[in-house]
Amino acid sequence: MRNDVRNVLERWLGADVRAVAVLSDKDLEELRNALTAARNSQAKALAAASDEALRQMPALLRGGVAKILGR
Amino acid sequence: MGRDLATEAELVKLARALDTTTEGVAFARPLDHGDIRQLRERVVGALYDEHRMVFQRVATISRLLPTPINVRIALRAFSPLLAARVAGEMTPDRAAELANRMPVEYLAESCVHLDPRRAGPLISRIHSDRVLAVVTELVSRGEYITLGRLLDAATERIVGDVASMVSDEAMLRIGFYAESDTHLTRAVAALPSGRLRGVVRTALSGPADLRSAGLAMIGRLTDDRLRGQLAEYAAEAGDDTLTRVLHTALDDGAVAELLTAVAAMGAAAQQRVLTLPALEDQDLLVRLVDAAVRHGLVPRLSALVGQMDGDMLRRVAAAIAVKR
Repeated sequence: MRNDVRNVLERWLGADVRAVAVLSDKDLEELRNALTAARNSQAKALAAASDEALRQMPALLRGGVAKILGR
Repeated sequence: MGRDLATEAELVKLARALDTTTEGVAFARPLDHGDIRQLRERVVGALYDEHRMVFQRVATISRLLPTPINVRIALRAFSPLLAARVAGEMTPDRAAELANRMPVEYLAESCVHLDPRRAGPLISRIHSDRVLAVVTELVSRGEYITLGRLLDAATERIVGDVASMVSDEAMLRIGFYAESDTHLTRAVAALPSGRLRGVVRTALSGPADLRSAGLAMIGRLTDDRLRGQLAEYAAEAGDDTLTRVLHTALDDGAVAELLTAVAAMGAAAQQRVLTLPALEDQDLLVRLVDAAVRHGLVPRLSALVGQMDGDMLRRVAAAIAVKR
């Protein structure tokens, strides 16, 4: 369990982060949860901003920009 | 690990990076401030890099359009969040060209979302009057964490202009979140002495968090002469005010900063603070010595021995003996 969490955090943050080496299992779990929540909330905010950008975009550009934004 | 001001500031910044509260980053409390800072920098890097390719593509497209068209499209279709992420992927010259044509409120909101790793070259290319207007807007929004981060990215001239423009309280609060001691010192050094005295007075007469911010500022300065100047201004305060500072240092884990400040004073100012009536309270003295022992600050306390009278020396020695 600890190794799973540690591996995920090392993949996201780098293998040399001291916090990952010294925090307890419980603290590492909370760090992973906080980071997962932040990633999800950022993805949602960026998706909403991209959708709004497309809605406001001149029709001529909309298709091309949608492709670029991966929407 | 006990609480200290640097750790508290780092926890607030980590919480901001993770879009949560300080309770939400309680897992980081066992870490020292250096480790929290490293963790925060990696978190920021991971979050900003995650969607980078998309913004790089948008930045590439923007190169094909003339600046006025880009500005029009951005203001119409891009939220400040999106604009900040795209700006981070443009060349600094191109991003600054756009920023110089955008409304101050929009820029201020974008600054909050700007990748701190890319802010420096961009800010140095934006017109200084526009930067100052953005800073004013961020101060009015209480965005001290953002401003503390941007302090590192600001040129000397901007730092000087901002320092002379913002309030004493804003200076203290921005300084609390400044990333680098060197840049904080540069900003404080840019203030004329009358203004410095005002900043110290504001810190001393303000609420506990402002007193803590003042102690943190004095502790972080990299210029001993400047530290001594600020500490001596503080020593001019009345007994009640200095007693409040003493309690704040004990309550907020700022004994290191307090002792650093006293050590930087001249002999007369040191005598003045060491004869503070509150220090006749042995329980309070024991708390002070206890904090000094816990944080390995006995040498700093010992450096003040020359200014202590016989009675105080005996009481300090007794307090140290109890703790050892």
